[in-house]
Amino acid sequence: MDIKVPDSWLREYLETPAKPSQIAQYLSLCGPSVERVNKVGKDFVYEIEVTTNRVDSAGIFGIAREAAAILPRFNLSAKLIPPKVLSRHSFASSVDYLKVKIDHSLCQRFTAVLIKDVQIKPSPEWMVDRLRKVGVKVINNVVDISNYLMYGLGQPTHTFDYDKIKNSIMILRPAKKGEKIITLDGKSHTLPGGDIIIVDGSGRLIDLAGIMGGQNSAVDNTTKNVLLFVQHYNPTQIRKTVMSLAYRTDAATLFEKDLDPEGVTPTIQTGIELLEKLTGGKAEDKILDLYPYPYQVKKINITLDFIQTRLGINITKNELSKILLSLGFENKWSGGKLEVDVPSWRSNDVNISEDILEEVARLYGYHNLPSQIMPGIIPEPPEVTPFAYELKVKQLLKGWGAVEVYTSSLVPQNFIGKDIALKLKNPLGKEGEYLRISLEPSLLTAAKQNSRATNPFHLIEIANVYLPAQAGLPRKGDLPEEKMMLAGITAGFPFTQTKGLVEVLLAELNMEADFIPANNGAIIKQGKTVLGQLKVIDDARIYYEFDMATLRNLSKPFSTFHPIPKYPGQIEDLSAIFPSRSLVGKVIKAISALDPQIADFQLIDTYENSKTFRVVYQNPDKTLTDNEVAKIRGKVIKTLANKFGARIK
Amino acid sequence: MSEEQIHNLRNEALSLIMGTTTQEELENLRINYLGRQGKINQATAELKNLPAEKKSVVGKIINDAKVAIENALFAQKEKLSTKDGQTTWFDPTIPSVQPQRGHLHLVTYAIEEISQIFNHLGFVRVRYPEVEWDWFAFESLNMPASHPARDEWETFFVDTKSHPKYGNMVLTPHTSSGQVREMERVKMPPIRMINIAKCYRRQSDVSHVPMFHQFEGLVVDKDISIVHLKGTLDYFARRFFGASRKIRLRPYHFQFTEPSFEVDVSCGVCNGSGCKLCKAGWLELGGAGMVHPNVLTNGGIDPSKFCGFAFGWGVERTFMMKAGIKIDDIRILYNADLRFLKQF
Repeated sequence: MDIKVPDSWLREYLETPAKPSQIAQYLSLCGPSVERVNKVGKDFVYEIEVTTNRVDSAGIFGIAREAAAILPRFNLSAKLIPPKVLSRHSFASSVDYLKVKIDHSLCQRFTAVLIKDVQIKPSPEWMVDRLRKVGVKVINNVVDISNYLMYGLGQPTHTFDYDKIKNSIMILRPAKKGEKIITLDGKSHTLPGGDIIIVDGSGRLIDLAGIMGGQNSAVDNTTKNVLLFVQHYNPTQIRKTVMSLAYRTDAATLFEKDLDPEGVTPTIQTGIELLEKLTGGKAEDKILDLYPYPYQVKKINITLDFIQTRLGINITKNELSKILLSLGFENKWSGGKLEVDVPSWRSNDVNISEDILEEVARLYGYHNLPSQIMPGIIPEPPEVTPFAYELKVKQLLKGWGAVEVYTSSLVPQNFIGKDIALKLKNPLGKEGEYLRISLEPSLLTAAKQNSRATNPFHLIEIANVYLPAQAGLPRKGDLPEEKMMLAGITAGFPFTQTKGLVEVLLAELNMEADFIPANNGAIIKQGKTVLGQLKVIDDARIYYEFDMATLRNLSKPFSTFHPIPKYPGQIEDLSAIFPSRSLVGKVIKAISALDPQIADFQLIDTYENSKTFRVVYQNPDKTLTDNEVAKIRGKVIKTLANKFGARIK
Repeated sequence: MSEEQIHNLRNEALSLIMGTTTQEELENLRINYLGRQGKINQATAELKNLPAEKKSVVGKIINDAKVAIENALFAQKEKLSTKDGQTTWFDPTIPSVQPQRGHLHLVTYAIEEISQIFNHLGFVRVRYPEVEWDWFAFESLNMPASHPARDEWETFFVDTKSHPKYGNMVLTPHTSSGQVREMERVKMPPIRMINIAKCYRRQSDVSHVPMFHQFEGLVVDKDISIVHLKGTLDYFARRFFGASRKIRLRPYHFQFTEPSFEVDVSCGVCNGSGCKLCKAGWLELGGAGMVHPNVLTNGGIDPSKFCGFAFGWGVERTFMMKAGIKIDDIRILYNADLRFLKQF
């Protein structure tokens, strides 16, 4: 959460000679991150990011508390000036001006005080200036004080028009489902149930506690008596209400992070002081305070050894103690052990030794620590990883002119069709509702997007598809199978060229492939295993895909060695006329396998149904005689005729 | 001049031309035969002395001789220029015929470079599910269901039944969900993991894409300290960004690390003195921290014996900071426009 801190306001709680630029730099190194310092008139305004665990510094006083500990580490003196405590008022568990009934599981501490005879008017200039610098709208003195307390001390407060609380009775209870309230800003809410609400003596809902007050009890220009209200609310419940109503206020953002119940005391006292001063009102002497379980100091034990090992340096006992004390952590050594008291404002984020370590380390300064790579044994990598193989495939294809794309895994409904795919509950839009089950629609879209390209192109992608758990594989109720696929699409390439790309890729991976005719293309198999498919999409585009795991499992790391033949082969061309619709791949496969002495059999020319093949006859152990060649040729011709119905020309 | 004389003139010229060895000799011959005062012009001038019936016949022979000499001169000129070693005319500036050039994606280059650097330090590259259970993405990382810290991860939820033990099915919003998975795989430290994977967050603007990549480092061993985290990240910064670059840590907060840091790298443009591109000499890289004991426990590792550190950064962001590539809308990375892809 980002807060704005005017330098002038900060210095009300912090006495230091440090310049704003120094404060910004040093806070960032050891504490909350100062994102920017803006000059506003003669003043400066820090923009500070407060992390969710540090709600104690989400106010100007909290930042001052951090600065007071941090600046001395940079040889700049700094003293924290706490809010003044007034002695005239006492805290009491019952008062005559308000009768209350409280569910303490929702409200750990409840305080309220009545201020009589206030005069509603504009706030003085200094307060207007400060509130404007933190970005708050100025309304009137009473409402402004309430905001001033929240931004200054980090504790939200509320002011009721006392006379609008029927019978001076307040009941704090969980809301029933469906109860309705109109808040100060005029918005109407139907409550989900369980929300912290306050009803008055007539049973009206007058406050959506911790989030925003009710319109029916709000301070207005005719208000005479004000009830100042400072509480600690159950953070989980506040968050629940905020999330289910999708309605957030600055107060709720603070309450949901579990504020310090001890912080209520200085806030209500400062509130009384400001209200009396700026409205002319008079506060009751007794402040109603219901706080059945006050903060018990939390103790954490650490050892010097722990801090030194984790920090990686030999910090001294004395320095350790001093650092912790500067942050409000009282501590006591006994031998190598240190007992640390956690102050109330840090009680929800400091729980274990590592939390103490963080406090010490950041104040010591991460920038003051040396850098060193850890010694120790280097772990064994898993025997099989896919990464090198994926890169090899990408680089091979790149070498042949492919362009790699990364397209989104999140796809629209029409990419899925009638198949089953995982759907998102909260997609960003219709374009990304589903997890894709195929790369084909993504690559086709990518190709279409480049349809104006003047030259033929080839796009590739290696990415997961997400196959949901279905009956069968994988188990129902399990995560989807994330299957790494290689896919490519060519545009403007003849079929033979795309097929060639696929073939040389498989050859480079030391694989053999059969192209089995299938609808508009071919299924690519090695032996009985399906490796992938090739598919003609339209006149211009051809798509192919492979399952990467299958490729990786089946491809041999090296090719097999064949001795170089010692005796020359005999080469001749054979032409034959085939019946229409003959598959030439089958012919080549059959003839190549016919005789081990046929060293090569390739198609070199095609004219209509006539095909010319180049045959190499070769024997590794001798030069073949004409007679021997004639015998093999006879087998070839016979097979061509009998098996494929071909007629030799 | 008789027909015979013209024939002789022609033959004499051709043989002299063929016998030349330099361009200079050849040029002299050209002047001698074809020049204004050359022998061919002289022969032509004498034509007028012939009887009318002879004029056209001899004229044709003269012309033939002229053409033959011209051709011989041209051929010999070519021959001599080759012989002189000046060879034939050659233009190296002619547009070439290129093989088709392929291109890998920026993200692939970035991932390779990052994994190589960590490989040198003995980190093992892994990849864990992109569609993940809430337990691994949040709960085991010390972020219970209602924790406000979860708001920072704009998480996509999958519309399916939740797991009785692991909760909702989500698209992992960070590679940190691999931490507990890696602990479960390795069982006993040492762990040095680099997990690079796709992540998803429900945001899309000029600096955010719903699908992006992160790289996550995790080290678990005995006596691992903040000094080691600094050493490792310093090494990475020097190797990845350049030898003069430094890193610094600032306090931050993550539920799954304690202490937690924001990591900055010194600006490469101004070398740390402060400029328009950086914040007072530094650029924000991403988060890091010492692994929270609860996370170790959730991964089945005893936090009283082992400790470690982790960091998880955006691949795209880190790479752009290195390359100084200024892309005003990061979403172009995941757009298949060839005019963009072919630039890398």
